[in-house]
Amino acid sequence: MTVGLDPVQLARLGSLPIKARVIVEGALSGLHRAAMHGSSVEFAEHKEYSPGDELRSVDWKAYAKLDRYYVKQFEQESQLTVYLVLDASASMRFRGAGAMSKLDHGALLLAALAYLVSQQQDKVGLVACGDRATETIVPARARTTHLHDLLGVIEQVMARGARGDESPAPALARIAELTRRRRALIVIASDLFDPEDETVRALAQLRAQRHDVSVLHVLDPHERTFPYEGLTEFRALETGGRMLVNPAAIRRDYLERMAQFLARCRGTLTAAGVDYHLAPTDGALEQALLDLLVARSRLMPRRAS
Amino acid sequence: MIGFLAPLMLVGALAIAVPIAIHLIGRQRARVVEFAALDFLMATKRRTARRLRLRERVLLLVRALACLAIAIALAKPFTSCDRKGPQVTRGPQAAVLLIDDSFASGYVIDGKPWLRRASEDARRVLAQLGPEAEVAIVRTSEGSEHPTELTRDHVRLRDQLLALEPSARPADTTRALARSAQLLASSSHARKTVFVFSLDQKTGFHGDEPPWGTDGPALVTIDSRPAELPNLAVTALRADPDPGAGSRGIAFDAEVANFASSPRQVELSLAIGEHVVARGMLQLGAGEHRTKRFIAALPAGTRASDASVSLDGDGLAIDDRRWVRASLRDEVRVLLVDGDPRTVRHDDEVFYAETALRPGDREDSGTSVRVITSEELAGLDPKARGAAPALSLDDFDVVVLANVPALPPERVAILADWVRAGGGIFVAPGDQVDPAAYDRTMLPLLPQSLRDPIDTTWGAAPEERDSRALHLVKWEADHPIFAPFPKDAPGLADAKFYKISLLGPTTATADRKVLARFTNGAAALVEATIGSGHTLLFTSTLDRDWNDLPIHPGYLPLLQQSVRHLARKHAPGAEPEHLVGSSVVLPVGDLKRLEIRGPDGLGAVFEGDRITGRSSVRFGRTERPGVYRVIGTDQTGATGPRDELAFVVNVDPHGSDLTPAPPTMLPHSGTGGPAAPTDDRRRVELWHALAAAVLLLLLAEGVLVQR
Repeated sequence: MTVGLDPVQLARLGSLPIKARVIVEGALSGLHRAAMHGSSVEFAEHKEYSPGDELRSVDWKAYAKLDRYYVKQFEQESQLTVYLVLDASASMRFRGAGAMSKLDHGALLLAALAYLVSQQQDKVGLVACGDRATETIVPARARTTHLHDLLGVIEQVMARGARGDESPAPALARIAELTRRRRALIVIASDLFDPEDETVRALAQLRAQRHDVSVLHVLDPHERTFPYEGLTEFRALETGGRMLVNPAAIRRDYLERMAQFLARCRGTLTAAGVDYHLAPTDGALEQALLDLLVARSRLMPRRAS
Repeated sequence: MIGFLAPLMLVGALAIAVPIAIHLIGRQRARVVEFAALDFLMATKRRTARRLRLRERVLLLVRALACLAIAIALAKPFTSCDRKGPQVTRGPQAAVLLIDDSFASGYVIDGKPWLRRASEDARRVLAQLGPEAEVAIVRTSEGSEHPTELTRDHVRLRDQLLALEPSARPADTTRALARSAQLLASSSHARKTVFVFSLDQKTGFHGDEPPWGTDGPALVTIDSRPAELPNLAVTALRADPDPGAGSRGIAFDAEVANFASSPRQVELSLAIGEHVVARGMLQLGAGEHRTKRFIAALPAGTRASDASVSLDGDGLAIDDRRWVRASLRDEVRVLLVDGDPRTVRHDDEVFYAETALRPGDREDSGTSVRVITSEELAGLDPKARGAAPALSLDDFDVVVLANVPALPPERVAILADWVRAGGGIFVAPGDQVDPAAYDRTMLPLLPQSLRDPIDTTWGAAPEERDSRALHLVKWEADHPIFAPFPKDAPGLADAKFYKISLLGPTTATADRKVLARFTNGAAALVEATIGSGHTLLFTSTLDRDWNDLPIHPGYLPLLQQSVRHLARKHAPGAEPEHLVGSSVVLPVGDLKRLEIRGPDGLGAVFEGDRITGRSSVRFGRTERPGVYRVIGTDQTGATGPRDELAFVVNVDPHGSDLTPAPPTMLPHSGTGGPAAPTDDRRRVELWHALAAAVLLLLLAEGVLVQR
């Protein structure tokens, strides 16, 4: 069981790397083993067993011959490449009841993932999309300094705030080009508010290209419950459109449409083999991270085989 | 034109700005939310936008109207119109509501009786008079009970008005007005008014004496009478035996009146008991009375039955049907004296006469016949009776002397005394009659002396015989004996008379009348009145010796009518017609209990002290027209219907004439005390309607807000 991080306390933690580490540690405290590591490895050498080594790495044949415990040392044939996609379009700026906006929530989750991946010596890259003019691409690297660069970019995006109305679909297409047929794990944090469902289709297409795809569907509780009362003027974050309406009059229709939207996203993505997670902004970050890791650990053996 | 009692309140109409301002300010003060999922909202909004916009505007309109209506209602708007109702002044006063409950008030107009409408008007006036008014209700139907005093118990008066039903009696408006004047005269109030709710039938007014003078009560007539009240009515119905239609034949004469200004064709139906036995059409001009005759036979086995004639419905149903008791004739007891008896039946002098008087020898023929020979008449005279059986003339109504030789003077005297006392004698000559002998003894029984008979065919060749025969002509068509015959009556006129007795000269013309003559001018049938009785002299034979009348159709009715005339039983059951409200006297006879059952459950039971020792009882509850049946219990305890006592009650036909009385027949309105301020304009307050509108608007606003 994990204890949820207080967003206020998290905010006080200062820099993003620290926050990312805290989130990761919080998540891993509830996980027996990490699931975010490379799956394709090759034997390198033996090493005498010492406490803490995994039992599954003990070479039992060598033990039969030498009566001593040796542990197999493996060398990763190729490192895991993880691309993090942060939807920084204007709709992610929305902040309803939660302590942080959807952008901040998604950014923290991706930062924690970047930290985790980097700790495992895997390559991690970032694409922050939403506004074509300020779209940022951080190529996948495995160096420790790269993590600081990547988190710095995330910090810049958070500081700049969500803007623009471009969907993540073009960014996902670029990732497909960048990976050049090398299998990668692509994790996207987005609200998927996309009138044409382009993002969902692009994600399904990535999955069809044998990439591992995980979606952190970031939504604010107000978007799911529509708790507004009294005459309200709603202003669109992306298009600037306005609408004066009595929320009570349209609540039922809105909730119906939102339920249909969520069902459609989950259904389409799950059917395509995409790992789908709803990450509401009022939910614990480490819980969302944990859910993702657990799901990855379940998927990995099946996909490795 | 609309006015306001509190026009300052109209300033409140400015409140209409409140909902408009709220609407506008509400728009400005709307909370602003930057919302990411606006696409969903927009899609939702697109679907509901038009409806919501319309709802908002309707809501704004409803609220604005509600504010406006409240302000206008508080200003108490009113309008005025011409006063349609009666002039009613509220306050202390004496008033009589004179309301027409005659049977004409049951005239159905627009699906409901006129009386109901009048009752509603009267209740409205009663309410307008106010609780301080002393009021009485006086009904105009003939014989209705009138109140003895005025009262302030308006609740009871209102109940009385609600309970009013059309009676079955005609209107007697004059009496009701007089009673109203009496009631108001006893009041100490200065203001006195008679409110008249009446059809103002002309027949309801009688006498020239006005009910009050110039200082009498004010008269306010509430005119709710339609311009046209066409009415058809069966105004009279007679039922008389019709021998021409058989022994059970009854002629029903129904008089139908058209009290309308346009001609009408009426379908009539005759019912005996409850079964319709005949129908007929009658064309009636405007205001015309016509009689329709139905001929029908009473059911076998009955001597009397109730019958009714009804016409197809009009607005006033109660006078569209009229009842009558139809009875066969009372039996006439005839003594046939055969002056020339024969052993061969059809050669007998009285064969044809007996057959005609008692056709088929049936019990219900209406005639009982006893045949004796002239010798057996000796039984009348105890001194000369000899072997003849005793004979009493009291057992007979009519004596027929058929070809009887002249009787001895003492026997003639007995017969003459009997005739003077009311008996009837029919004399027909024949070969046994010697005119000279008749002159000597029989004159007290004859209207005129007899002379020798003449044979019109004497010396004629057989082929000329018929052409020289005499025929009956010039009979008194209006005489009861000839009433059943049509004008040319071939049944009589075709009969050939070959031999007739001539009559001697006479100067007695006062009590004598020739009822029929032959083609040669000789008298054929002569009637004379002797004391209380009648005598008829037929100058030919009753058999076929001198004529062939017995084989003609006219023979039977002629003979039957003659003996009935002599017995004076032409109008059986000609009892007076009972009208609604009249008393009926019923003979008790040997009954110890007598129950009368009328239509609509009306009735009475006479038993114990009410019947013991009485020869008759009087029944007065004849409030509805129809048949009243009588069930009697005799001394042996046997109970059963007594058809001979049943009677029918009809409405007074005078009440069927709905012609309105001319204004000159109506009493003049008195001053009615100090005049109340009058205003021909009536103020109609509108704020009640506006208050209702406000309520409805608020209700609509609530519904719209909830949607």
